[in-house]
Amino acid sequence: MSADGTTTLERPVPAAREDARRSGQRLLGGLVNSPLTRLGTVWFLLLLVVLAGLLYPGFYDSGNLRNILSQNAPIGLIAVGMTFAMIGGGFDLSVGAVAAVSSVTVAKLTASVGLPQAVGLTLLVAAGLGLLNGLLVTRLSINPFVATLGTASIYSGAAYLISDSQPIVVTVPHFQWLGQGLVGGVPVSVWILAVVFAIGALALWGTVFGHCTYAVGGNREAARLAGIRVDLVQVVGYVVVALMAGLAGVLLTSRLGVGQADVGSDMTLDAITIVVVGGTSLFGGEGSVWRTGVGLLLLGVIINVADFQGWSGQLESILKGCVLLTAVGLDVLTRRLRARAGAAST
Amino acid sequence: MARATGGRADQPAPCVEVTGVTKRYGATVALDDVSLEILPGTIHALVGENGAGKSTLLGVLAGRVAPTSGRVRIFGEPAALGNPRRARAAGVTAIYQELTIVPALDAAANVFLGTPLARSGWLARDRMRARFAELCRDFEVTIDPDVAAGGLSIADQQLLEIMRATQADSRVMLFDEPTASLGAPERAQLHALLRRLRSQGVTVVLVSHNLEEVLDLSDEITVFRDGRIADARPAVAWTKASLVEAMSGRRTALVTRTSRPPERTATDPVLTVTGLSAPGVLRDVTLDVAAGEIVGVAGLVGSGRTSLLRALAGLTPGAVGALTVDGRVTRLPRSVREAQRRGIALVPEDRKGQGLVLTASARVNIGLPDLHRSARAGWLSGRRLTDQAAEAARGFGFDPARLGQPVGQLSGGNQQKALLARWIYARPRVLLCDEPTRGIDIGAKEQILASLREFAGQGLAIVLASSEFEELVAACDRVVVLSRGRIVSVQRPGDGTVTPATLLRAAFDHQPFVEDSHVS
Repeated sequence: MSADGTTTLERPVPAAREDARRSGQRLLGGLVNSPLTRLGTVWFLLLLVVLAGLLYPGFYDSGNLRNILSQNAPIGLIAVGMTFAMIGGGFDLSVGAVAAVSSVTVAKLTASVGLPQAVGLTLLVAAGLGLLNGLLVTRLSINPFVATLGTASIYSGAAYLISDSQPIVVTVPHFQWLGQGLVGGVPVSVWILAVVFAIGALALWGTVFGHCTYAVGGNREAARLAGIRVDLVQVVGYVVVALMAGLAGVLLTSRLGVGQADVGSDMTLDAITIVVVGGTSLFGGEGSVWRTGVGLLLLGVIINVADFQGWSGQLESILKGCVLLTAVGLDVLTRRLRARAGAAST
Repeated sequence: MARATGGRADQPAPCVEVTGVTKRYGATVALDDVSLEILPGTIHALVGENGAGKSTLLGVLAGRVAPTSGRVRIFGEPAALGNPRRARAAGVTAIYQELTIVPALDAAANVFLGTPLARSGWLARDRMRARFAELCRDFEVTIDPDVAAGGLSIADQQLLEIMRATQADSRVMLFDEPTASLGAPERAQLHALLRRLRSQGVTVVLVSHNLEEVLDLSDEITVFRDGRIADARPAVAWTKASLVEAMSGRRTALVTRTSRPPERTATDPVLTVTGLSAPGVLRDVTLDVAAGEIVGVAGLVGSGRTSLLRALAGLTPGAVGALTVDGRVTRLPRSVREAQRRGIALVPEDRKGQGLVLTASARVNIGLPDLHRSARAGWLSGRRLTDQAAEAARGFGFDPARLGQPVGQLSGGNQQKALLARWIYARPRVLLCDEPTRGIDIGAKEQILASLREFAGQGLAIVLASSEFEELVAACDRVVVLSRGRIVSVQRPGDGTVTPATLLRAAFDHQPFVEDSHVS
């Protein structure tokens, strides 16, 4: 037997124990794939919403619910983009910096060009920054973590340069409508978030591009040998996430009325937290936009509950970290169980 | 059951005693009641075809493979089976083809990996340095102790591993194809080193495909066939011819030919490649494949089987050669996509690593090369994809009810069928299959070979690379035998005179030795 032939067969288990182990693993496999564990975050979210409603009388007020959604709209947009990048096997640490660049860029542009042009140009800039990330990762084969860590620093510095480290006040009328306006009683930013979620979910679930993204993230080499343009798919992922970061930057600027270079400081890690808590795999190939939606609501509700409790920002931060670690721990655990169940069934 | 002993009158006690060892992988029997004694201070070679069981036995001795039943004694002590650490503690070290060097550490640190010299908890760098110099002197080599091991040649890395084994006081060293990736000068150097180890009382167990090397070096040679010991004699009692005969034996073909190859009129070949060369792996290969034909590629490990297929599929950027597909002269493809545009598709050898997206469903895996065919304006139609995937998979007997399941949950046979169905879905002109039946059960194997025959009958040109000679004889119209990157023989199993032994002999006979180092 050739040396390369034996490696795949290696499973040194005494034959007598094999059967017992297999039936045990089938049970585990069933448990892992059952709705109870697969939809763990959904159950947790429902539980939290019910409990919060019982404990805090003001929780179900339309004002409070609207607040949860509109406050989290910018970060939600980035999380949708991050879902694309991560399912495709990528990772982006520069989204906060891209949002900052977009914030100061749009604020500065409104002074010289029309509002639609300012927003359009800003999004174009954001997309360009994402393209640079994608090219660094695919063409130069720089680890995505390192590549976007580097660009994050560069983009962030650029944002400070553009704004001269000063808040840029936007005086143009109508600009604040994006971040503060209401349509049918619902904030404009929440409408935008809903549309982006719908498009993102459909694109990943139903299009050829979406399926290619899953394939590239699931097994890059297999996708390449199947003739998929793996570099292109991944670059598009980075452009999408940067575009979403740009949009988030514009919304934030509109809500605050000022463009600032420090708007994105917490956003990168928050977006990754949301995606991972939702259950999208850090290793690529698995996940979905609706899961990210669940993650977004979960984090939003938890912060809201912390506000009701009157907890400080520091405590909120600790809470966020705990939720993230629990979610990732569960992900790793189910992955291990599933791998074992999979090995038993073959 | 065969019992292999040296057969001498005044024998010392054996240092390795294997008694009735059997190893099963599911339905496959890799080792079947093998008993063997290895005498201390000898070079003992294990030879056999691919899959004969020699590497599995090596794995058992090294503690890497736990046998299903049987006993092993090392220096008279019962060995803890399936435990590499305990095997090493008992003085047995294995040196595999895939070396276990830490590339970033320097050469000296690699030798003392796991057994560092220390003084009250602090690394004794000066002592390690001195000992490293001593080992280099012993081995008559010069290796800079400070250079990162990753920057050394394969031969030098191998030397570091042997030094490590010596330093760990190994009395039995197991080598799996140690010279397969070495050029002629390094090979001679290693041979000298193995002899030196023997003179120092170390027992060397050697698995090698290079019969001259085995005859030249060994004291004892044990031949494996189908998981059993076919014969065991002192090396002087063997010749190359008798070794080949013992390895191949007389067997009936595993797979029976399911249909005669179709009568072909003198049609032009679908694919012709001439003068195909790739640095270090292929030399001046010329091959043509006609519609309806299955052309086999045989050869030993490292002969260039996979390299040939990968070069045709656009995966070897440095390859040169002239390619004609369907009468149109083109350059060799430089990417998978380019190959696919020409109608050339590759079913890669590593099913899980290079073939399938395990997290995705079977139907997506099948449709992957051309999802647009099942889509309108970029929008994938699940129903159309299911229909088309089912149609492609039907030819391989793939259960359509499993199309929606993630392929990671399917059996090996079904995974392979899904992978092959992918390339039927893609409708290529030429299908290159690399080890399409590796690691799957005999039923699925026969079904896959029969399906390939059928697709050939429908006009597909197929190239089938396999390490199993029976399979090639059973399935192919023509078999080219590769050795060290060159075609050394062309056989036509269709006329009934070619046996697996014919292919084996061709693969061995033309294996150049020592004088040839252009390809390594």
